[in-house]
Amino acid sequence: MSKKQKNLAVLASVFLMLLTIAPVSNAMHIMEGFLPVKYCILWGVICVPFLVIGFMNIKKVLGNDRRTLTVLALTGAFVFVLSSLKIPSVTGSCSHMTGTGLGAILFGPCVTSILGIIVLIFQAILLAHGGLTTLGANCFSMAIAGPIISWILYKLLQKANVNKRVCIFVAAFLGDLFTYCVTSFQLALAYPSEVGGIGASIAKFLGIFATTQLPLAVIEGILTVVIVIALETYAKDELSSLEF
Amino acid sequence: MKEKKKRFKHEHGSSFSVDYYAYASHMRSWNAGFKVLFSIISLLICIACNNLFVSLAVIFFMGFLTVAVGGLDLHHYITMLLVPIVFLIFGTIAIAIGFSMRPVGQYHVHFLNLFYIYWSKASLLKAGGLVFKALGAVSALYMMTLTTPLSEIIAVLRKAHIPKLIIELMNMIYRYIFIMIDTHSRMKNSAESRLGYCDFKTSCYSFGQVASNLLVVSLKRGNNYYNALEARCYDGDLRFLEEEKPLKAGQIVMAVIFIVVLLLIWFFTR
Repeated sequence: MSKKQKNLAVLASVFLMLLTIAPVSNAMHIMEGFLPVKYCILWGVICVPFLVIGFMNIKKVLGNDRRTLTVLALTGAFVFVLSSLKIPSVTGSCSHMTGTGLGAILFGPCVTSILGIIVLIFQAILLAHGGLTTLGANCFSMAIAGPIISWILYKLLQKANVNKRVCIFVAAFLGDLFTYCVTSFQLALAYPSEVGGIGASIAKFLGIFATTQLPLAVIEGILTVVIVIALETYAKDELSSLEF
Repeated sequence: MKEKKKRFKHEHGSSFSVDYYAYASHMRSWNAGFKVLFSIISLLICIACNNLFVSLAVIFFMGFLTVAVGGLDLHHYITMLLVPIVFLIFGTIAIAIGFSMRPVGQYHVHFLNLFYIYWSKASLLKAGGLVFKALGAVSALYMMTLTTPLSEIIAVLRKAHIPKLIIELMNMIYRYIFIMIDTHSRMKNSAESRLGYCDFKTSCYSFGQVASNLLVVSLKRGNNYYNALEARCYDGDLRFLEEEKPLKAGQIVMAVIFIVVLLLIWFFTR
């Protein structure tokens, strides 16, 4: 082994160590006060059209059948409870699911945007994950971008006749990863690097948060598969009431 | 019994201690709208000024309000402040340092012969300032959330003319959360007593089963909930009894003085 190879091996093992001892990892909510005012407003404005579409969609569904209201509220509560549960982890660290992939697969991206922003407000107030000024940024990454990618992937893979479990895993896993990429981009945009600007800064945030987010995305994918398969086995009828 | 107690203690927000603290706070008798407005204005000033002294003033005054006036245990308050700590550490590290293939920047170290980690006095100061700014913002937010129950915050949102549908959903979701948490803890208990969480693979399986079962059980109940609402003459409008909490002159004066002081601090240390 050359010296460089040896160093690479050392680096890889250090990285692996970090992966296994990754401490607490909340879903990657940008904390309160972390973004400058300019970017809080920017991301808030970007979210508005998606939220309006979601709102109109829910209104239309409720106009047809008002009974769906309780079902909607229950699913919202479910996503919140799911995101507040500690998920199993190898190392006994404490981490949470985002539930966005699951939401998108079950309810479609339109409804997920409105339920998502309500859940994010509740998380900020009841769990102290995320915040009010960063609501726009978090809403875009977790309630809009992630679910849309998950939903598109799920539909595409389903059309391509891929194994159902693989579909769900890929959709949830990549949706989670995409959320994490968008959040890194949001952070990098607000705090560009001294050398290399935004591009270098994205790499930096991606790299540092990878320690907590990569294992989380894998676990989230596995759990989403287990949940959706169990739902399909036991609750076909109830699931059909969720087809918005 | 000890095991059970451990699980219900505050652990990174997995139980709803915030709601519990809010109901127990001495500041609950304050007008909710006032608290929300005061907290958000302080929060915005703290972020917009981007000034170390303003941030420190917000941290101390909001901490004082929540702990001394609100009567929250200092230890609990600090635990709450530490909830977003991992994000804060990772985020500020990413801002303070940079990676490069060439030696650049004010200070740099060569790391394992592969790349350089560089930083400068300015970037360290920026990261340090950011820590205090974020903590200031968080403490302003906590002044609201740790003293005002969520139902009162929703009532304030209703008065701010947020669409009725959203308010309705928020009210329902808030109530369903507690039903679900209760159902979940029972399911988890029974899964645990059957060794459902003995190793990682089984835990994943049990977690998924419990979660999906939770949704199924809740959806089955959903129809009943709607029937129960209709039986009580529900016509698309949930009305709750709201306690009247008059605004006190002293509180307004305190808030105005605090905001003026913040602006003065910002003006003189600019």
